[in-house]
Amino acid sequence: MTDMTKPVVAPPGSIVSGDLMQLLYRLSAALLICIILALLNDSFLSLGNILNVLRQTSLLFFIASGLTLVVLTAGLDLSVGANVALSACLAGTVIQHTGSPLLGVLTGLLAGGIVGLLNGVMVTALRIPSFIATYGMLWVLNGLTYWYMAGETIHGFPPGFRQIGSGYLFGLPIPVYLLLIFLAIGTAFAQRTIWGQEIYAVGANPVAARLSGIPVARRLLLVYGVSGTMAGLASIIFLARLNSAEADIGESLTLPAIAAVLIGGTSLFGGVGTVFGTFIGALILTLVLNGMNLLSVNANWQPFITGVIVIVAVWLDMTTRRHKL
Amino acid sequence: MRESAAASPLRRIPGVAVMLALLVGIFGTIAPGFLSLANISNVLLQSTILTLLALPMTLIIMTEGLDLSMGAVVTLTSLMVAIVSLATGSMLLGLAAAIVVGIGFGMLNGWLVAIAGIPPFVATLGTLGMAQGLCLIVSDGQSVVGIPRAVRDIYSATLAGLPVPVVVALIAYAVFHVLLYHTRFGTYIFALGGNREALRYAGLSPAKWLIGAYMIGGLMAGIAGLFMTARMNAGHPTAGLGLEFDAIAAVAVGGTSFERGNGWLFGTVLGVIAVGVLRNGLNLLALPSSLQVASVGFLVIVALFLDGLRSRS
Amino acid sequence: MKPNKGLICIALPLVLSATFAATARADGETVAVFTKNQTNPFFQTVRVGADLAAKTLNAKTLHYIPTKPDSIPEQLSQVEDVVVKKPDAVVFTPVDYKAMVPGVEKINDAKIPTVNITDRSAGGKFIAFVGADDYNLGLDTGRYLFKALGGKGSVVIIEGVKGSLTSVDRVRGFNDAIKENPGVKLLASQPGNYQRLQALQVMENLMQSNSQIDGVLAANDAMAVGAIEALDGANRKAQVIGINGTKEAVDAVKSGKLLATGDYNGFAQGCIGTMIAIRTLRNQPVVTEIVLKPTIITKDNYQPFDVALDARTCPTWDEAAKFATK
Repeated sequence: MTDMTKPVVAPPGSIVSGDLMQLLYRLSAALLICIILALLNDSFLSLGNILNVLRQTSLLFFIASGLTLVVLTAGLDLSVGANVALSACLAGTVIQHTGSPLLGVLTGLLAGGIVGLLNGVMVTALRIPSFIATYGMLWVLNGLTYWYMAGETIHGFPPGFRQIGSGYLFGLPIPVYLLLIFLAIGTAFAQRTIWGQEIYAVGANPVAARLSGIPVARRLLLVYGVSGTMAGLASIIFLARLNSAEADIGESLTLPAIAAVLIGGTSLFGGVGTVFGTFIGALILTLVLNGMNLLSVNANWQPFITGVIVIVAVWLDMTTRRHKL
Repeated sequence: MRESAAASPLRRIPGVAVMLALLVGIFGTIAPGFLSLANISNVLLQSTILTLLALPMTLIIMTEGLDLSMGAVVTLTSLMVAIVSLATGSMLLGLAAAIVVGIGFGMLNGWLVAIAGIPPFVATLGTLGMAQGLCLIVSDGQSVVGIPRAVRDIYSATLAGLPVPVVVALIAYAVFHVLLYHTRFGTYIFALGGNREALRYAGLSPAKWLIGAYMIGGLMAGIAGLFMTARMNAGHPTAGLGLEFDAIAAVAVGGTSFERGNGWLFGTVLGVIAVGVLRNGLNLLALPSSLQVASVGFLVIVALFLDGLRSRS
Repeated sequence: MKPNKGLICIALPLVLSATFAATARADGETVAVFTKNQTNPFFQTVRVGADLAAKTLNAKTLHYIPTKPDSIPEQLSQVEDVVVKKPDAVVFTPVDYKAMVPGVEKINDAKIPTVNITDRSAGGKFIAFVGADDYNLGLDTGRYLFKALGGKGSVVIIEGVKGSLTSVDRVRGFNDAIKENPGVKLLASQPGNYQRLQALQVMENLMQSNSQIDGVLAANDAMAVGAIEALDGANRKAQVIGINGTKEAVDAVKSGKLLATGDYNGFAQGCIGTMIAIRTLRNQPVVTEIVLKPTIITKDNYQPFDVALDARTCPTWDEAAKFATK
């Protein structure tokens, strides 16, 4: 989606400093929400609630982080939710048949990655716009998952494996450690490696990127592959947390992941955004949901409020960016 | 630029037409009852609501935009029809309420995109949530039933031998065709997609026309809401969710590009019918539902792939 | 446990050809079976029951499931397509018991005999209704829970899909059971949409605002298990009951994690609904309503329910007719 009216993008080298202000704005927004919620409800700052929020943020972040790389290239991956479901079902089967959680984890990652690469192939070699390619993939994956599961569920995994999703280590939920690890890896990759810089360049101006020698197709394959693999990782965590695999776990996962990426400041036009921003976006989204639950806001209002937050967050982001430039 | 954009899909046989012909040929041969009059009119009738949404979606996509809120808005307008006609006893008042709500959301979308400058994906993702929430709020999660008979009858009534919804879809198509290819508004729509700078240099503000495009989307959602309620004889808080993706897919399958600002209205209609034919044929063959789900995905991917091939050669 | 797909790929063609050879007889009626979605295991049990009943009676089933789960417009389209195809009979679960009425009327207009199962449709003509008594299932499982709690304690309710008849009736049963026990306090009643993940998150949130929860009444087993996972994750304990009687719930009852589950026998409903449809086509006597007796599966009586789906058999007609209420 190239647009003549998008704001001028700073050259890759200065992305870190340019985005730092935006990240700080977002962090303050998240902090503000926390303060408001703490004032409004006693249980918000309880240890149990904070840990819950962190764990739920992790689950959202795993999917959204891979998605961030795709969006950085001005693409989209609508199939992530369905990918999580299929990978979870396959991984679950392997764990049950072999009794080995390790094999299950590898299966999940592999399945997710292969789906991601297929998306990448459609976008690069077959030249199908990412919106449609991943939308079609969503349906294909769902069909496969429905056929494979045949209306049943896989349940009951070894307790050791389940620790990945529901266990604690030194008082913190294990998914939070994974969150921190992947946050670090993701940020380092995007900001500090050549591949990362090239991905930003591809998103900012694909033609110029190609002309300057960047292997655009290979980078695109990379981002879609990563997005798929992260979906595979998320599927393992879901498997462990829910202690079951079902065909429909993916349905409600995609749009929140996209929302987290957008709230986090990554632009759909490509070239702008950070993995850390996505983390904050996921955090904000989770805080809002958590707040609505704690305040017993009628469930009917939740989609409405979430929709408003998405708009306001992006609007604020754009306004502050414009004033900067 | 505009003439070639309008004429180019016709210089080559479009992927969607090939696919539709293939599907009709295959199902006509192996699916019993597919070519019967009753079935064909079913498929056309089943496609009308989506057509009413896909037509304005074509315009919006041509402006390099998207309207993700359409499914939620049509669900909301369908609830408006149900609630207002139940309260007042009048189908027309229900329709009026639906159109007002639809246009209201269209204005909101247009304003967010054109004035506030928020990317259409984000803006309409936000209004999707708002509309979805309103659906739950006004209905408290329950179906709304007991609506006047007149609403239901409009779905099965006929005009000159054709079902009323089909007639409305045909009229809508004619209007959109004229709008897009024979009015200044249409020229601006093409320009908004392919060459927005030209509009600015000409001293025209893109904002007005952008908002107009989204408002038309809202209007059509209002009308589609009437037929949706008529079909179910009820308003339901989740009935139309997800239709926007079907509409976007139909537009893309039909040959309108997301990026180059060329659009093919008839292609959109073919796209809607192609998906309808696929589902109908698979139902007649009673193939497993999982296969149906996967087929929809394959159809969309193959159609776009063929189109990509064509535009490269 | 997942059946071995590889084995099925080899065995299926053989079985199919054997079946084709065997069913070249006078019967062979087609029954179109409509269920709500492909993902809820409950409807899989319905479909398996329907298939088994048809096979035993030398008839065929065709399944119609919306590609978008619980989609009203899609089920309406499938009804219209089915009318063109003209099966001999229809066994129908409406995705929404009110909004699908026009669809049922279309089938009626086509003069195809139809049996309503699971969710009682708000309109249309049916040969019969086969279902379970959601209200009494809710009431009885609620009563069982409160007996186990000694008639007092704080509880939460996790509802199903808002507006769905099964959820409305079951929750009503829960609430009436609470009214019978004045020592029981209802802390909250939140929807979990019959989904495991949602129920888990609802439970996690409820545990934050309520430090003491003694019992959880979940409107279906998936949500009950989700609540149990949330409790486990927080190292808290509560007595949980669910409804459906799925294999997973029976396993949980066996292991003591789930206190009880109400038997919402989808398998039997599929069986009996299909049997009624076929018997009507063959002019055999039928009844117009069968409501299965509410049964609570507990640690003491789970054995007969602990049977794998493929090993189950349909009730005979006489056994089924005993539950006739009309």
